[in-house]
Amino acid sequence: MNIFVCVKRVPDTSEAIVKVDSSGRGVDSSKFSFDINESDNYAVEEAMLIKEAKGGNVRVVCAGTQDADVMIRMALAKGGNSAIRIDDPRINVIDPLQVAKVLAAAIKGKEFDLVLTGCMANDDGNMAVGVALAEELGVPHAAMVKKVEVETGMVKVYRELEGGLSEVVEMELPAVITIQTGINEPRYAPIRGIREAQKKELAVVKLEDLGLAPEAVGEGASLITLENFYIPKVESKAEILEGEPDQKAVTLAEKLVKGGLL
Amino acid sequence: MGNVFVLTEHRQGVLREISLEMLTKAAAVAGKTGGEVVAVLLGSGVDAFAGKVAGYCDRVLYMDDPLFTDYNSEKYQKALAALLKEYKPEIFMIGHTTQGVDLAPALAVELKLPFISDVIDINVVDGKLKPVRQYYQGKVNANFSFKGEPPYLVTFREATLEVGEAVKNGGIEKIPSLLQEDVAYRRFIEYVEAEVGDVDITQSEILVAVGRGVKEDKNMPLIEGLAAVMKADICGSRAAIDAGWLSHDRQVGTSGKTVKPKLYIAIGVSGAFQHLAGMKGAKTIVAINKDPDAPIFSVADYGIVDDLFKVVPKLTEKLKELKS
Amino acid sequence: MNTELLTAELQDFIQKHDLYGCIQCGRCTGGCPVTVRTNLNVRRFVYNSLDQSMRDDLAKLPEIWDCTACNTCAVRCPKGLKPVEVLMGLRNILVVEQGTVQTTVRDALESVFLEGNPWSKPRKTRSDWMEGLDVKIAEPGEKVENLIFVCCTVAYDPRVQVLAKNLADLLNKAGVDYGFIGESEACCASEVHHLGEEDLFLEMVESNTELLNEYVADRIVTISPHCFSSFKNQYPAVKAKVIHYTQLIAELLEAKKLIFNKEYPHKIVFHDPCFLGKQNGIYAEPRTILGHIPGAEVVEFERRRERSLCCEGGGGKMWVESESKKERLAETRARDAGALGASILAVACPFCVLTLDDAIKAKGLEEQLRVAELLEIIGALVD
Repeated sequence: MNIFVCVKRVPDTSEAIVKVDSSGRGVDSSKFSFDINESDNYAVEEAMLIKEAKGGNVRVVCAGTQDADVMIRMALAKGGNSAIRIDDPRINVIDPLQVAKVLAAAIKGKEFDLVLTGCMANDDGNMAVGVALAEELGVPHAAMVKKVEVETGMVKVYRELEGGLSEVVEMELPAVITIQTGINEPRYAPIRGIREAQKKELAVVKLEDLGLAPEAVGEGASLITLENFYIPKVESKAEILEGEPDQKAVTLAEKLVKGGLL
Repeated sequence: MGNVFVLTEHRQGVLREISLEMLTKAAAVAGKTGGEVVAVLLGSGVDAFAGKVAGYCDRVLYMDDPLFTDYNSEKYQKALAALLKEYKPEIFMIGHTTQGVDLAPALAVELKLPFISDVIDINVVDGKLKPVRQYYQGKVNANFSFKGEPPYLVTFREATLEVGEAVKNGGIEKIPSLLQEDVAYRRFIEYVEAEVGDVDITQSEILVAVGRGVKEDKNMPLIEGLAAVMKADICGSRAAIDAGWLSHDRQVGTSGKTVKPKLYIAIGVSGAFQHLAGMKGAKTIVAINKDPDAPIFSVADYGIVDDLFKVVPKLTEKLKELKS
Repeated sequence: MNTELLTAELQDFIQKHDLYGCIQCGRCTGGCPVTVRTNLNVRRFVYNSLDQSMRDDLAKLPEIWDCTACNTCAVRCPKGLKPVEVLMGLRNILVVEQGTVQTTVRDALESVFLEGNPWSKPRKTRSDWMEGLDVKIAEPGEKVENLIFVCCTVAYDPRVQVLAKNLADLLNKAGVDYGFIGESEACCASEVHHLGEEDLFLEMVESNTELLNEYVADRIVTISPHCFSSFKNQYPAVKAKVIHYTQLIAELLEAKKLIFNKEYPHKIVFHDPCFLGKQNGIYAEPRTILGHIPGAEVVEFERRRERSLCCEGGGGKMWVESESKKERLAETRARDAGALGASILAVACPFCVLTLDDAIKAKGLEEQLRVAELLEIIGALVD
């Protein structure tokens, strides 16, 4: 099995204070911690499990700066064979279709059976790159997969739908699968393995190396424009409900049901 | 010009609410663009859905074809690509759901559509559509605009607005299915219900967490009653596990599990740092604790500072009422 | 025990831990505090580790994770062996060689590797606790008498950030020459060693040694006994002398550079932290500090000093739960404190603060007893 797994380096902002920067179209990331996108990490593990079961190789693909090398080596340490990092500031990362085009350029023309990637990036929540990538590569896809069963020339996947229902789908290989969190338990990459992974190939390429013209990327090539960021009006973090206990219980119940949370 | 098309989403004989939410938003947008609201329905023998959405739009374009019995991204993509080429709406709205994300980006690439996902609002400024979406898990909003010619494509987030009244009276047009043949590459096999059995709380959508404040095992039925109404799984802080009320696989925290539910209700949980670390990824956090200084309130979205034994029974009762 | 089939790697293991030196007297297990609630029998582990085929299975037993590294076994061993390190060696086999590790351990280790702390917090916010406070930062290359090492838990956990704040305040008031490291401070990796990731531990030792030696410090003063024990015993190339803050404060009190001038009329019982006491023989200095507190009545546990009952915070236990359902040692300790009629359970370690806080709540003793780290107490006693 020739497997590609696409990974993204994202900040962990679950506890961070996010501030819009002076340009109005970015945020101040100086205090963020960064790591591999959560569902991509699950995709990496799934790729390794398939490789261990069926044989073959796993190549890691990442569009990112040198800061992403640590996380790529961690993926290689888990069993990846080689990696390609596309380092080019011209890529308009705000546009998932453009990112998909760039990733496709790194994979096109190479032999592959499966391309795995996380179903969603935790920073932008687009849930679009994987499926767009499939279309760019001209292969079938399935998004939000919780179980993968590789057969000969085919793959059967279980897509996780709302309410825990699974949709079972079969696809001809080659195919693209976007992976949902919880599909497996990502292994720990011991430091020893990460250091040894330095010996594995990590090719750093630019757009021209992939046969992409400069006009294919950048804000000019996007059909969407990010105009500005702004902080949504948020009440002080906890809205403390007022009144007698009964009243508060009723208010909360209404908020939960009417707010679509239940 | 200015027409807003909406994909009607349905599954296993149920029309999904997102369809009506999008149609409500579509009406607001079309009101400003001067266009029509059109519901697109792909299915087999789903006339009832056509009738339902007709109350929310000016036209229903209904492709009734046995090949659409179950959702398949390949079939939907083929049919919708042909439909968009023929009808050229200003914008096509698809739900940002497990179906929508499986479909929209491929459609966007195929037709080279300007595409924005997980949109929470669509403003109309000087006749131009300006979608809004969020970054960093809701901490930042972003205004977007489209470049180039329509049709534009968005996936629209669920539960962002209330469904309006069914005041319209759209004409239902059965149009010929634009699906020429069955598909080649991706086959729908079946639906499988969620497994009932041991719970993996890391996969739970709704969690009720218990802490020290619940005081004793004999108070757990009170919590179980609430969890049942909420269709929630129960988890706990270390105190609850230590006290033997829950098994260790239900512990949330640095020496337990890390959970990321849509909704986390912490009852009698103080919110020590090691516990917060295990649930900080929850989308919405509600805390009920009689201590106003409990650290759990620093991460909660909603808080009730009161005796949980006074609040929980009423909460359970009211939820039962609202959900029936 | 088949000695002909010893692999080179097993021979290293045996030699490193001097397993042949063990006479199987059982003093280790006899003094091990966790035996009351788990199946851990460290004597048997030492013996069975000599057998290659047994050793790999031993590494998989859940009880090797019950060890808190309190060091009682090493203190008691008549042959001067360290049975605790055999258990750490077995953890190492599991983590590094077999690659199997609990998810909580995985997350803590990855966090140390990527962000320099085991709590999955950003490196860049490590010094946020200092905001708005008068805290001196040391400059590399410039002479400083006391280089203060905060600790990841103290830096990030709101419950114990007060320790760092109070220490800075006290040092300012005493006019001491000191400096904190600031943002470049990274995990001492004591718990990395105890979680079995020896390679990562050694990398952290190397980078931390380089960092610490950049400062021209007479002494490195740590807030946590775990950092203290690690720097003192496992960082051979660090130039400065390493002490715990209780040693510095005791020194200042004796020299009258620091004077407590407020009353603290409470009955205090002191819990000897294992990593201060059993691991490093520091029992007197915390008592010196307590002795200077005006109005306080200081009482002692029966299990004190070398017999202190481990709170189960060390040895990686903050990230690994025991399978035992029996009463936690911290809860036993809390009960004992309550039985003595104490209103303050004093500690000198951030892990003890956290485990004993939980224990007091679990036992429903909040009304009569609370945990206070020494810095929490004395921080309020100086004008």
